[in-house]
Amino acid sequence: MAKMLMVDPSLCTGCHRCEMWCSLTKYGEINPSRSNVYVVRREPAVDVPVVCIQCGLCINVCPTGALKRDKKTMAVVVDKEKCVGCGMCTNVCPIGVLRIDKETKMAAKCDLCGGSPACAAHCPQNAIRYEVANKAAAKRRELWAMAHAVRNR
Amino acid sequence: MWYGFAGKLLRVNLTSGEFKVEELDKNELRKYMGCVGYAAKLLYQEMPAGIGPLAPEAKVVLATGAVTGTSCPSGGSYEVCYKSPLTGTWNQARSGGAFGPKLKYAGFDFVVIEGKAKEPVYIYIHDGKVEIKAAKHLWGLNVEETTDTLIRELDDPEISVATIGQAGENGVLYAALINDRGRAAGRGGIGAVFGSKNLKAVVVNGRGGIKVARPKEFAAAIEKAEQWLKNYPLSSIPTLGTVGLVSLNNSLGILPTKNFQETYFENADQISGEVLNRKYQIKRRACYGCSFACGRYTSVMSGKYATPPMEGPEYETVDMFGPICGVDDLEAIIRANYLCNVYGLDTVSTGMSIGFAMECYEKGLLTEKDTEGMPLRWGDGEVMVKLVEKIAHREGIGEFLAQGVKRMAEQLGPAAEEAAIHVKGLELPAHEPRSESKVLALQYAVSPRGGCHMHPNWASTWDFGQLDCGMKEFGMPWPPKEIQDESPQKGVAYRYVALQGEISEILGACIFYSWGTEGSCITPQLYAEIVSALTGWDVTAEELMLAAERSWNLKRCFNAREGFTREHDKLPKRFTKAIPNGPAKGLKVVNLDAMLDAYYEAMGWDKATGNPTPEKLKELGLEFAIMSS
Repeated sequence: MAKMLMVDPSLCTGCHRCEMWCSLTKYGEINPSRSNVYVVRREPAVDVPVVCIQCGLCINVCPTGALKRDKKTMAVVVDKEKCVGCGMCTNVCPIGVLRIDKETKMAAKCDLCGGSPACAAHCPQNAIRYEVANKAAAKRRELWAMAHAVRNR
Repeated sequence: MWYGFAGKLLRVNLTSGEFKVEELDKNELRKYMGCVGYAAKLLYQEMPAGIGPLAPEAKVVLATGAVTGTSCPSGGSYEVCYKSPLTGTWNQARSGGAFGPKLKYAGFDFVVIEGKAKEPVYIYIHDGKVEIKAAKHLWGLNVEETTDTLIRELDDPEISVATIGQAGENGVLYAALINDRGRAAGRGGIGAVFGSKNLKAVVVNGRGGIKVARPKEFAAAIEKAEQWLKNYPLSSIPTLGTVGLVSLNNSLGILPTKNFQETYFENADQISGEVLNRKYQIKRRACYGCSFACGRYTSVMSGKYATPPMEGPEYETVDMFGPICGVDDLEAIIRANYLCNVYGLDTVSTGMSIGFAMECYEKGLLTEKDTEGMPLRWGDGEVMVKLVEKIAHREGIGEFLAQGVKRMAEQLGPAAEEAAIHVKGLELPAHEPRSESKVLALQYAVSPRGGCHMHPNWASTWDFGQLDCGMKEFGMPWPPKEIQDESPQKGVAYRYVALQGEISEILGACIFYSWGTEGSCITPQLYAEIVSALTGWDVTAEELMLAAERSWNLKRCFNAREGFTREHDKLPKRFTKAIPNGPAKGLKVVNLDAMLDAYYEAMGWDKATGNPTPEKLKELGLEFAIMSS
C-alpha cells in the first residue's frame, strides 16, 4: 500500500528543520524559501507543517503536461523537460504548496523524495511521518474535524 | 563564492542615516571563525577604551556564525556584542529564535550599528536591502505591540523583530533586546544601549538561504549529530525544558534562595518543571533549527496573575522570581517573566535586584520610606510583580532598582555590600558556586562580562556534570576531581572548559549541544566536520580551538584596556562564608586565588594582572592588541 505524509501539528515545535532538510536535499543549500514543505509559525503558539497531499488537481490544469503521477510513490512530480514555469499549478493548488522556484524558474513541489521523504526522516518531534495511506487519511480526518471544532471548545 | 556565510557586513550609521555594505575578507574571517570571535576583533579595533556604553560613539555588533541558520541543530543563535552600561566590560548577549538565521538569509553575517539617531528609528533589512525607518509611532510601545505593529505595517508575518520595550527606552541598566516576542538577548543592558541610540528595533527577513560547499558530506555530518544527540546526557532539557533543573538542584542543595543567603528552597516542588508542564504549558517551542525545543509556551488563565500566552519561564527565571525572592507561587513567576518579556528586561538582573532589595528591607537598610510604604517581604509575589512594573518605568523605588545591585549597594553603604551578589556589576545567575561546582566559582570570577555562567560555557559541565565534551584528547584533566576540590587542577581544567565553550560562541551555536561526550553531543571534532563540509574550508578541531583562544584573549584585552585587572576577578564575600542549611550545609569557597593562579598560567597570561602577555598575543597573531605601557 502506498505511503503518504501525515502531519501532527500538536507535536510541531516550529523548528523549521524539515524545510532545511528539504532544500538541502533538493538544491544542496539551506533555504526555507526553497522548500517544498512549509512550516507556518504564528503567534500565539501556532506551529503547523503544511505538506502536499498529492491530490493531483495541478495535473489537470498543467498546459504542457509537465505534472504527472509517479507510479511507484503515487506522488505528483514535475517533468523538467516539459515545465515552462507558467504557474497555473500554483494558482490552482488548494493549500498553496506549489511554487515556481526562483532559480530554476520551474514548478517545484514535494515528490516524496522518491519514497523516503527527508522531512519525515529528520523531524525531531515526529510531527511529520511517512505512513501508509489509510493511517494518514485517518489523521487528516481528525485534523480537518478539529480545525473546525476548535471555536466551539 | 561564499559557502556557510553570507560574506557581507552591514554598517549602519544612525547619526548620518547612512549605511554601507562591506565584503568580508575570507582569511580574516577564518582567523576568528565568525560570530563573537570576529565581533571581538571589530569592537577591539573600532571602539577605543573609555567610550561611554551609552554614548553615541559606542558601537553594537549583531553577529552570526558559520552554523547560524543552517540545519546544524544548534544553529538558531545570534549574538549581540557591545560594551555593557551595567558593568563597563565587554558584553555579549546570545539569543535564539529566528532573528540570526533570517539576518543571514537576508544576506548579512554582521551588522555594525554606530551613532545615534535624532529621532526614534528602526532598521529594516530584507533580501540585501536596508532601510532606516521612522519609529516615533513605536516609541512607548511594548515588545508585543511593537512586533504586531511592524508585522502589520510591513505586511509580512514572517519578519523577525528584535526590539526593546519601555525598559530600554527608559535606560534601565539591565534592559534586554527581545526578538521574536519571547527570546532575549538578555544580559548586560543592550536594551539601554539601543534606547540611547534612539533605536527601537532591527527587523529582518530574507530568502537568500545559505549555500553549502559539500552538501552530501554536510548532510552526513548533520545526520551524525542528530544520532549523537539522541544520547544527550542532560535529557531533562528536551523533555522538561530548563525548568527541570529546579527539583534536581534543590534536592542537591544548590538552588540559590533568598538572594543567595541559602541554597535550599522548601517549597521547590510547587514551582518545578513538572508543575509548569502540567498546569501552565500550552506547548513546546523551538528556536530556528533546534531539535531540543527547550522553550515553553505558557499562560495563566485567570486570577490576579492572569497572563496571555508567552514564551518562558526558563530555569534561571523561575529561580530568580521564585526562590531568590522567596516566592513559591508559579503564577506570580510566570507573570513576572511575561512582564520582563514585554517591557524588555533581563529576568536574571531584575530578579536579583528585587531579591537584593528584599534582603536590604529585612536588614533595615531599606525602609517603607524608600519604598512608598510598600513592605518588601520575602515571598510576597504581588509586591515582586509590582516592582517589575516599577523598574521598567523607573517609577518611585523602581528608579533605584533600575541601576542594578552594584550601584544600589554603593548608595546604601558598606552594610549593604554583603547582600550585593554580583561580579564586576553583573548579577549572578541561578547557580551556586559554593556547592554546585568550584570551577563555576572560578568562571564567575573571570568571565569577561562579569558574574556569568554561560559565556563561554557552563563550567560545571566538567566536575558537576562529569562530561569531557570531547576535550580529553586536547589534554583536559580527566577524570574530574570532585566538585568541592579547590586545587590548582581546577584552574587548568577551566582553560579547556572555556575554550570548548568559546567554540560554540564563534560558530554561532547554542551551548546546550556541546554538553556531553563523544557520541552524545556536538564535540569540537564534530563541529569541525560540520563546518568543513559547510564552508569547504577543511577546518580541524585544533583550528577551532585556536580561533576560540583568539576570541577569548581579545575579550580579556578589551577589558584590560578598560582598566580591568586581576583585582576585579573576585567573588562576592558571601561565598567565603558557609552555606547555613540544606543538603550542602557548610560548603564555601576558600581557595579562589590558587585556582586563579593556575588558570592564568594555563592560559599563558600574566599572573599579577591576569592579562594576556605580549608573547601570548604574538603567538596568536594578535599583535594589534598588545598594550603599550
